[in-house]
Amino acid sequence: MIDALGPARLALIVVFSLLGLFFTFVSMTGVIRLPDVYSRAHTASQADTLGAGFTLAAVALAAGWEGTGFKAVLLVFFIFVTNPTAAHAIARAAFEEGTVPWTEGDERR
Amino acid sequence: MVDAPKRGSVVVPVESTPTLRATVTHLVESAAGGEFSSIHFVVFATWRRDDPDTADREAAVDRLLERVATWAEADLADVDDVEVGDVEVVTAIVGDDEYLFGADDYVRELAAYADEHDAETVVLDPEYTPVGNTTLLQPLEFALSSTDLAVREAPVTRPTRRERLRKEATGIRFAATFALSLAFYLALGDPLYWFDLASGVASAAVVAITLSRISLDADPSLSRTPIRLLRGAVYVPALLYEILKSNVVVARVILDPRMPIDPTLNRVRVIVGSGLPITTLANSITLTPGTLTVRARDGNLYVHSLIPWARDGLFDGSLERWTRFVFYGREAARLPTPRERDDVGIFQGPDATEEYPGTRADGGSIPEESTREDSPDAPAADGPVADAAASNAPAADGDEEVTAE
Amino acid sequence: MSVVDASLAGGYAVGDFLLVVAAGFVVLAIGMLYRAVKGPTMQDRVLAVNVLGTNTVVILAILGAALSEPTFLDIALVYALLNFLMAIAISKFTVERGGVL
Repeated sequence: MIDALGPARLALIVVFSLLGLFFTFVSMTGVIRLPDVYSRAHTASQADTLGAGFTLAAVALAAGWEGTGFKAVLLVFFIFVTNPTAAHAIARAAFEEGTVPWTEGDERR
Repeated sequence: MVDAPKRGSVVVPVESTPTLRATVTHLVESAAGGEFSSIHFVVFATWRRDDPDTADREAAVDRLLERVATWAEADLADVDDVEVGDVEVVTAIVGDDEYLFGADDYVRELAAYADEHDAETVVLDPEYTPVGNTTLLQPLEFALSSTDLAVREAPVTRPTRRERLRKEATGIRFAATFALSLAFYLALGDPLYWFDLASGVASAAVVAITLSRISLDADPSLSRTPIRLLRGAVYVPALLYEILKSNVVVARVILDPRMPIDPTLNRVRVIVGSGLPITTLANSITLTPGTLTVRARDGNLYVHSLIPWARDGLFDGSLERWTRFVFYGREAARLPTPRERDDVGIFQGPDATEEYPGTRADGGSIPEESTREDSPDAPAADGPVADAAASNAPAADGDEEVTAE
Repeated sequence: MSVVDASLAGGYAVGDFLLVVAAGFVVLAIGMLYRAVKGPTMQDRVLAVNVLGTNTVVILAILGAALSEPTFLDIALVYALLNFLMAIAISKFTVERGGVL
């Protein structure tokens, strides 16, 4: 069913998915370009937050609130709770292994 | 003062130890249980009041006492059935008018202080060794036994995850876990379909039986949880705004062909309770692009920052303020920022203010001091932690390096 | 007629557009695969795989909406949880003392 919001909703779907795509692209660029595991973790959180957030918002809009849209929101909530924890575990593992964060002038790793 | 003399005071000599935090909690719990009416945290001054060059040491002691007082207040706030003001928390520096040698001097000062404040009990932090003298604790206990003060050691151990993992099961924890799991199950399924209902109840029961004492380490409070959820709902848009802002800034830095990054590891001491509050704060910091929580140790967060802008934002402490607001209300949000408290440090780069706290740094040399500070956390000192894992570890580590090469 | 069947422009529906977006995410995932292969440290790989996992979750969700397959969302939920477990477990076991979290 297309409700009264019709065109605006379609526009929002398009805008949100493109924004999500853009931030995931930035995140991918960062994961490839940045010099060490700590800085890559920063940019990974971009894909987790706005990349996934905007795209799943678009999915929720496209699927409608009945059933699936709700699950998309739940998915965003999960990602927001679990992914920083995972990033923290990874960074802490690197720290415990003795990886010293890259600083200006170091060789790229 | 207090007109209930049958509940005495307790004197606790403190210094910065890994078990201090747990000792404070133990004391507050004892006091809340009706054992004491006031808790005196004291530090022995190792200098004389009119000595030159003592400002630094005095400042360090003042910071320690301030921290202890904050912890005690946070713990008091966590205990539900105690009115604020029911338990008095006092901090003091003793012995700054004379030089203290040996255990006898300490005990004399302590007894005098206890006498002055009607205290009959002394509780010792198990790791307490005044002025870094490692052999002092035994003689201190011995010397204390000659006074009429009651002495005991706080029953705390190094706060490792292993011991915190299992708490005792209580009805309300079970109910909360059960309700939450069932709600989640039915949200995914169909709450009106009998099969989903029955299987949901069964699986929620299994989850509650096995996990209720692991996933909740305190009884959820009926009076406080709703207001926290409400304040959390206010926090979410604020957090989303922060995330949006730093996403744009970091995106610009990453897409810039010159990529002007300046990553450093920083330390920031945060004043939030352990458990859920600090997890919320650390997760919020990590969610915000540009800052990444690497470690949490003794109320310190080690945060890696990508650009100076993110570091400044971290030191301005808006997320910390929000977390305090969510868990403790508007009053607590008004504490000064980490930068104003001067509880921050930068470990790397040209602006570095502190030594890098490496556990096993491969590149740089580890300063003697920090190695010793870290040693309680090192595997050897952890004793009971997974003997089997420890014996397997070297081999596994070796394999790792071979494959990584 | 659901939202995904609504015509967007030039005879293409929202569902078609979402499929294109999903394809874009797949391309980005291939880019991230570079870091998972290259490393150089174990943590780099875990991180890359974690981001890839989030990407997969998003792709699953988009496909679920575009193809009107609500069950894809359930699979995405399970995948998100497994992805989290993977990151925690590997981080834990790459450190010799196993003290991460």
